[in-house]
Amino acid sequence: MSAPVTAAAGPVIPDYAAQSSSCEIDNRLFCWRWVQHNWGPVLWPALREHVVLALAAVAIGFAISMALALAAHRYGWLERPTTIVTTILYTIPGLALFELLAAPVGLNVFSAEIALVSYTLLILFRNILAGLRSVPAEVLDAAEGTGMSRTQTLLRVELPLALPAIVAGLRIAIVTIIALATIVYVVYDRGLGVPIHTALGEGPFKTELIAAGGLAIGLALLADGLLVLGQRLLTPWARARAS
Amino acid sequence: MHEFVEAFRFIARNGAVAGGPALPSLSHLALETLKVGAIGVAISVAIAAPLGAWLGHVHRGSFLAINLGNIGRALPSLAVLAIGDAFLGLGLTVVELALVILAVPPIVTNAYLGVDGVDGELVDAARGMGMSGWQVLARVELPLSAPLLFAGIRTAAVFVISTTTIASLAGFSGTLGDPIANETSYRFSGVLGAAICVAALALAVEGALTLLQRALTPRGLRLSEREPAGVLERGVATA
Amino acid sequence: MAVGRWRRSSSATRSALLALALLALGVGLAACGSSSKSPTSSSSTPTAAATGTAASLPAPAANGPGANKPPIVIGDKNFTEENILGQLYAQALEGEGFKVRLEENIGSTEIIYKALLAGQIDMYPEYTGTLLSTIAGQTKQPASSRAAYEQARAYVEKHGLTMLPPTPFYDSDALATLPSYASAHHLRSIADLAPLGKSLTLGAPPEFATRFEGLLGLKQEYGVAPTFKPIAIELSYKALESGQVDVQNVFSTDGQLLSGKFKLLSDPKHVFGFQNVAPVLRYSALRDEGEFFGLTVNKVSSLLTLPAIQRMNAAVSIDKQSPESVAHQFLVANGLG
Repeated sequence: MSAPVTAAAGPVIPDYAAQSSSCEIDNRLFCWRWVQHNWGPVLWPALREHVVLALAAVAIGFAISMALALAAHRYGWLERPTTIVTTILYTIPGLALFELLAAPVGLNVFSAEIALVSYTLLILFRNILAGLRSVPAEVLDAAEGTGMSRTQTLLRVELPLALPAIVAGLRIAIVTIIALATIVYVVYDRGLGVPIHTALGEGPFKTELIAAGGLAIGLALLADGLLVLGQRLLTPWARARAS
Repeated sequence: MHEFVEAFRFIARNGAVAGGPALPSLSHLALETLKVGAIGVAISVAIAAPLGAWLGHVHRGSFLAINLGNIGRALPSLAVLAIGDAFLGLGLTVVELALVILAVPPIVTNAYLGVDGVDGELVDAARGMGMSGWQVLARVELPLSAPLLFAGIRTAAVFVISTTTIASLAGFSGTLGDPIANETSYRFSGVLGAAICVAALALAVEGALTLLQRALTPRGLRLSEREPAGVLERGVATA
Repeated sequence: MAVGRWRRSSSATRSALLALALLALGVGLAACGSSSKSPTSSSSTPTAAATGTAASLPAPAANGPGANKPPIVIGDKNFTEENILGQLYAQALEGEGFKVRLEENIGSTEIIYKALLAGQIDMYPEYTGTLLSTIAGQTKQPASSRAAYEQARAYVEKHGLTMLPPTPFYDSDALATLPSYASAHHLRSIADLAPLGKSLTLGAPPEFATRFEGLLGLKQEYGVAPTFKPIAIELSYKALESGQVDVQNVFSTDGQLLSGKFKLLSDPKHVFGFQNVAPVLRYSALRDEGEFFGLTVNKVSSLLTLPAIQRMNAAVSIDKQSPESVAHQFLVANGLG
């Protein structure tokens, strides 16, 4: 069983050429046919994975940043060290951070997510904290005056008033992370970066580039728009600011 | 953890690959990265700062200035570079073009918000003293908006370094992204070594620009470290 | 009325709900979305009994396709041909009822081999020559394709692994040139390049310059000493067509070679070695999955002749079809999957 065994008359080779058109072979600007054929196997899975990666990162980052911001709001001295650490994480370029994490953590979802979460922390921490601090002193006094506990004040007064800043931070975070997640493929084979990378190695193959890149940009703008809408719904009392 | 030891050895060898081909040294790659980045930032500041400052001065175009920031953030660097590669081929010019496209938005947005956000009473006072529009801009608005403007430039600078390394993924060679994109040539120790250098470089640039900002900010302004009101709510990262 | 009540309701509740919804959405999607990609597209679900295939292979043995076994994990490296091979093996096994998980684009040889040793994957398609030079660190060239396979298998068997029979095709490095250049200089084999000396520009990725299956071997065995120009693999054919290089390092199974636009120079002294593909796998995985597993994999390997793999490579890199679809069509045409 150790010599290569060739099938008797050679294998049947499908007629691949019959299915492709000159559009793809000549690498024309955009081949709609290719997109239709490859939506299911290539583009849609990549898009889905991309959404999961981004949402999970922002959700986890939000939870951590909220905790940090609440702590710093209570104990002011925490602000400076937290800002320094999160700034350092934010400043390290994405490609570098992914690889630095891949060494100890491995080429898996954890390297990807830890890095993506790190990029959300500075933005969300600063915005949540600034939002909490923007609550006017008179309002806090009034709340105390009506006998609210610290927790009640936080939940019923401070957080709602901080909402515009919080949502602004979420908007920046989600857009940044969606764009950044196109690089995740260097350590974790998921997301819209995968088809972009494939396309780059083929020419580059314009249709796939435009499709995957367009999906990434569209996704970011959609997320941004949804958050703007969400903010309008949740804080109808806030005057609509520019944009 | 031994991978980090190997990575530091790689750095200590200035990027020579043991038993490997003659590749550009790490110091050379780092210098090239800085060069490419500096050109990109310089062009972007030259375009974006005056534009944003002027819009803020006349208090017009806020929709454009702020949404430019949003759209700029939504552009994945790799996609922009890849599209540049597909249509124009990835030479230095195209990479610089991509860098400018990505770096201009945060600078415009921050310049606009900085100048636009200057206290109206100060501007009135200045005009009352007889200053012309240009003088108001140069002597009052710009100094007061320095923190935000610098924050925008710092954001752009770090972003530019990041994109320059990503350019190697798209096929542009000569920067610190090369080892990361060419693992077969440099091996993982090279990838990690380059990643460490990129991180160090970005932090150094951020640090240098922060010191520069401290040096150039008027002393009176330095004392108040708070962001101008309304900035965070309008979606500006003052990182 | 409902709107008014909404407005008056606790705004804190709304902000808490927003945070909670975001968190739940993220965690929930992460939980469902983190499964690895399945080798087959969502439209075709593998069925255990495919009447067409039963005729070509003996019936599954008692410890055959696993109802209660964990899935067997197949990995592949991050380039097209490996992607196709991974899909071929994974889809064929799934078609025979095995539970398979395909982890694509794991990385370079160094990385994927480590993953195999660590048990993160159970099997991947490896090139015999590459295993010997990169993993085993062997500098002496095997004398034949058979010797390369035997030596590679002997090496891995010392590490708890084993190797299944190789494919008919081998994908070695090769040198290609434009037909016009070849006829102008009467080039048939690599040996004919020697007289050109430095006037010949040779393009290849950087590591080619210091490998024996590269400039070193060309110098030593053929006396060829060209001007070297580093060119990334993806840009190989562009560089040749644009005239940036006279001769370019390519792979013998590249789809582009079917177009007739390029001429391969023969390598009579086998400087570029023998690179048949043989699946390397954890011995425990092979033992647990049973004889039928090995038979299925071998059946696939035996179908992979040079024309077959070249056509499949071409379908992906030129016709821009996905490796998954290309593999699927091949298997169906040959009674598998």
